[in-house]
Amino acid sequence: MSGTITVSRGEGKTVISIKGRFNFEMHSQFRTAYQSETAGDNRKTKFVIDLTGAEYIDSSALGMLLLLREEAGGNEADIEIINARPEIRKILETANFQRLFKIV
Amino acid sequence: MKILIVDDDRINSTILHRLLSREGHTVITAGDGMEGVAQFLREEPELVLMDIRMPKMNGYEAAREMKRAGADRFIPIIFLTAVTDDEGLAKCIEAGGDDFLTKPFNRVILQSKIGAMERIRQLHTALRQRTDELSTHEQNLRHELEVGNHLFANIVRVGNLLDAPCLNYWTSPMSTFNGDLLMASYTPAGGLHIMLGDFTGHGLSAAVGALPLSELFYGLTAQGFSIGELAEEMNAKMRAVMPTRMFCAACLIEVDPRQQSLMVWNGGLPDVLITDGQGKLVKRIPSTHLPLGVIPLTRDDRKVEILEMHPDYRVFLYSDGLNEAVDRENRMYGSERLESLFDGRHGPDQLFRAVLADVEQFRGGAKQSDDISLLEIVCARAGEEPPGGAIQQRRKIITPSDWRVAFSLSAETLQSVDPLPLLINTLMGIQAPEGHRERIYTILAELFSNALDHGLLRLDTSIKKTPEGFIQYYGQREERLAALKDGWIRIEMQHTPVQDGGELRLRLEDSGPGFDTQRVASSLEGNLGHGGRGIALVRSMCVELHYPGRGNIAEAVYRWNCCQ
Repeated sequence: MSGTITVSRGEGKTVISIKGRFNFEMHSQFRTAYQSETAGDNRKTKFVIDLTGAEYIDSSALGMLLLLREEAGGNEADIEIINARPEIRKILETANFQRLFKIV
Repeated sequence: MKILIVDDDRINSTILHRLLSREGHTVITAGDGMEGVAQFLREEPELVLMDIRMPKMNGYEAAREMKRAGADRFIPIIFLTAVTDDEGLAKCIEAGGDDFLTKPFNRVILQSKIGAMERIRQLHTALRQRTDELSTHEQNLRHELEVGNHLFANIVRVGNLLDAPCLNYWTSPMSTFNGDLLMASYTPAGGLHIMLGDFTGHGLSAAVGALPLSELFYGLTAQGFSIGELAEEMNAKMRAVMPTRMFCAACLIEVDPRQQSLMVWNGGLPDVLITDGQGKLVKRIPSTHLPLGVIPLTRDDRKVEILEMHPDYRVFLYSDGLNEAVDRENRMYGSERLESLFDGRHGPDQLFRAVLADVEQFRGGAKQSDDISLLEIVCARAGEEPPGGAIQQRRKIITPSDWRVAFSLSAETLQSVDPLPLLINTLMGIQAPEGHRERIYTILAELFSNALDHGLLRLDTSIKKTPEGFIQYYGQREERLAALKDGWIRIEMQHTPVQDGGELRLRLEDSGPGFDTQRVASSLEGNLGHGGRGIALVRSMCVELHYPGRGNIAEAVYRWNCCQ
């Protein structure tokens, strides 16, 4: 069983909220959530990944975050990961993702 | 559609024949059940209209025969019957009939029933095609997995994972294919390289990355490269060949029984745990790097953690499938529970089994959701050769020779340049004792920071003991270095060949006033210097370390082997 994704778009900012299990099954949903914002020259968007209701994150989900980062401009990408519960934060930090994303 | 009419009543048969032919169907007829079955087999009709009472073989029997013969296809049978009682109709269905039509026939009902059966038949045909395709795919997949498994088994077999006496390991793939990669290989200098890699995802796609990584692991180890260099090459390879969302959390370890050292590069795996002779946790090495294949490595990412190896150490590394294993209620096992086993309750020889047993008990037969691996290095046995002897690998070596270089660094130079990379590159360029780079670098860095911090800048290390003091220390260091007017540090590297290798003498002299060598040398032992490693570590790696003169000179001797 996987989780659900909701997207809210504001002025220059896209918030992607993930609830439940953030794993491989979310792949296409997650991609759809951000793709319109990363297409073409439309790369000014700031992304916020809200993990308030996320229970679990697996390595495929980490891969999806990397893909988002690349498609949102690589080193220029502005991506913030917020409200990760301690277990998930530990997973992100073990992978040293704080070097690639703002984890707050 | 091709329709078979089985009816002994010629008039009926003729009416139906004419009716259906006019609709565009191909019609075949049979005068009794037995002939019907024969026609069915010969003509392979797509629909059968069947009378019940007939000579030789009745309609029920004929229907059963036909259904048996055509079990792999769907050929609808519609009974033509005069009976209208429930029992009679039920008997038609029981015999394998798909529908019935009561006499006398209504043309419209006949047409619509044939139409309905045709739709079901088409559905069956489409479903059948899908099932066939699926089973072909499944066969192909099984075949590919077999090939993959074969490759994977060979990847492990060519190394020393299976025969190194100091290793215990356990790995349990979630699917046929393991996304966890375990490898080990002896280095030409008599050490052992060990790697645990955990690829994104599971199954075949995850294991595809194992091929290029294993090639680099074995190839570069055989050529004498160090784990820092292995990590760099593997990272570059992963970035070049794998898609962005694929990476490999990995931990590389070098155990060197001659140098009594342990080197660890941990990128994305859980903490490496080290226990003492009582089975108690004494050290942990957390992941300080990104996993392989994410971004290009920086200079810091090439750095490895170097530790002094005690013979009673046990080193444990595991993939996150272990701490994230779940029980039937979907609760996670967790690193805390795992580490609680390392409290001396289990002796060092029991620990490995105790961990596996505890995880097994916790899971209680719950479905495995990730690949699980656990590996133990028994440091006491690190010097033992495998039963067949370590595989002798060919490599290029620069024959140890006699040489000497000296650098003199002025205050001005010290302010603008970090001489350490230059020194180590010079050394590697002349002599290239591959696989020793990190250790020599550590020794140089420690001695250099002592010469600069204490000799020239006269900093007081004792203030470093508190976190505030630590910051203060580095603040002072920066200020004093910027204000440094004169002074110098001389570094001399001298190399002589010895049996099976070479001996490197490092001599660092500074222009400072020196110190009471007896007193300061002993306090230096406990001091964690540059990179938090300390002089004690330098002493453990060198065959000699002393401070001649008035305390402004340090001399260290490092020995390296190039051949067994």
